[in-house]
Amino acid sequence: MSNGVALDIQGLSKQFKGKRGLRVEALCGLTMQVPQGEVFGFLGPNGAGKSTTIKCLMGLIAPTAGSATIIGETIGSVESRMKVGFLPENPAFYDYLSAEEYLQFVGRTFRMPDDLLARRVEESLRLLELSDARKRPIRSYSKGMVQRVGLAQTMIHDPELYILDEPMSGLDPIGRALVKDIILDLKKRGKTVFFSTHITDDVEKVCDRVGVIVKGRLMALDRVETIMRSGIEGYVVQTKAGIGNHTALASFGLIRSSEVFREYSVPAGRFNEFTALVSHHALEITLIETKRKDLEAFFLEIVENVAR
Amino acid sequence: MKDVLLITLKGIFRDRIFQGIMALAGLIVFIPSAASLSMRQVTELSITLSLSTISFIMLLLSVFLGATSMWKDIERRYTFSVVSLPISRTSYVFGKFFGIALFLVLTAFVLGCAAMISIKVSSMGYPPARPVEWGLIMAAIVFDAFKYILLVGVAMLLSAVSTSFFLPVFGTVSIFLVGTITQQVYDYLHTPASEKVVSAIVKNAALVLYYLLPNLQSFDLKVYAIYSIKPSLGGVLTTFCYGGIYTAVLLLASSLLFGRREMK
Repeated sequence: MSNGVALDIQGLSKQFKGKRGLRVEALCGLTMQVPQGEVFGFLGPNGAGKSTTIKCLMGLIAPTAGSATIIGETIGSVESRMKVGFLPENPAFYDYLSAEEYLQFVGRTFRMPDDLLARRVEESLRLLELSDARKRPIRSYSKGMVQRVGLAQTMIHDPELYILDEPMSGLDPIGRALVKDIILDLKKRGKTVFFSTHITDDVEKVCDRVGVIVKGRLMALDRVETIMRSGIEGYVVQTKAGIGNHTALASFGLIRSSEVFREYSVPAGRFNEFTALVSHHALEITLIETKRKDLEAFFLEIVENVAR
Repeated sequence: MKDVLLITLKGIFRDRIFQGIMALAGLIVFIPSAASLSMRQVTELSITLSLSTISFIMLLLSVFLGATSMWKDIERRYTFSVVSLPISRTSYVFGKFFGIALFLVLTAFVLGCAAMISIKVSSMGYPPARPVEWGLIMAAIVFDAFKYILLVGVAMLLSAVSTSFFLPVFGTVSIFLVGTITQQVYDYLHTPASEKVVSAIVKNAALVLYYLLPNLQSFDLKVYAIYSIKPSLGGVLTTFCYGGIYTAVLLLASSLLFGRREMK
């Protein structure tokens, strides 16, 4: 039973044997859940353990300790993989096949009926803008096209859960925008998307929640919205020049002024005081801009703290 | 398993190495002319050349396809995409194996037909002293194919544990070479002459290898086909069962080892 949880990870650990018998701890007691219908960003610097986690989930490597389930099915089983659309990092597919042939192969492994498979292949190729290249062998594709084949094969059986390892890697800005649109569309359709990335902007734009992993340990797990809100440092407020008594605002930092407006820097804790003064001295606010730490700053702060 | 089998077959047909090796098969067309140069036992020579050509082509195919098929998938990272699909690793290994095995059977069939036409042409020009036993020629080809299917099993086992190209290719070739002489070594070790020359330790080591490594010589029915001599049915059946069991054990071991392999 999944109980509305798409991904349930409990104490997942992985150690690799390094050189001279040394053990490398790639993943250490990862515990987290991803509810169904959520877009989850798994953020971390290179070598943080993102791909190790995903490989454990997909049964490519066996965890040293811990367990996980995919929509109620234990990881590593055929049944668990039946419920997932998986895109590996830097994907490679049988290059002697065309995109169409490869998608048919993937669909057949998911035991899709022929007519449904034919329809889905058509739709996926069109959605990922591969229709023109459908008959060409994959070996003639560019890196971005191979990445798009990878995304197409995750969608072919319309799974409930998508596990994407660096889905935007190797794509040009148009391709990245396309992938973001696809993820947002999947979200609209109630699908769960778990994707790893080291690009904070990707997470900020499409994710509901984010987990930050550094050196194999989950360092933060929160809603993107909450992080963004907690990152508010203050506001930039413009008031109309020539109206009211601006000297009342002298205790706030004046950024610039012109004949039309005056621009103040208002700390988050003094915003109410600022608005009260505006109202009391008959001033007029024309613009308020939030000054916030973005997700990148939040991410870098965590990484730097771990490094210390 | 069927899906991996079909994909494997498709990959073989589109592989340039296969196309190059199959170009060798064209040699069969020239066998009647080459055999006629001997001026005597032309049909027998024609059978020898045909069966040897088929055997050589199948050896190349089994070594290159068996040893490189899985290795190539791992090296080029295709396995990440394939084994994360809802197919078990056992299905993957079996699909790869049966794809190559089916291809060897098809090759044996096509080359066998071509060889029989060549032998027929030779026998019409130079009638042999003993009638050509077509059944024996077919049996020789079938058992040859069987031998190379077993060799593919060896290659798969080595590929399942190896991280490089060398062990599967050179390991398979070595096992092929050793496998074709183990029977002779065994026979020699049981002669009185060997007792004076071979120490007990070497003899025991050789016997362990004899039982451990595949005995490929027993699959060789070429001499029977060339001279139209019927082999013992019991011997043929024993070889058939031996081949089947040995291949099954190789496959199970490959699947077990590949199942535990980490795709880092």
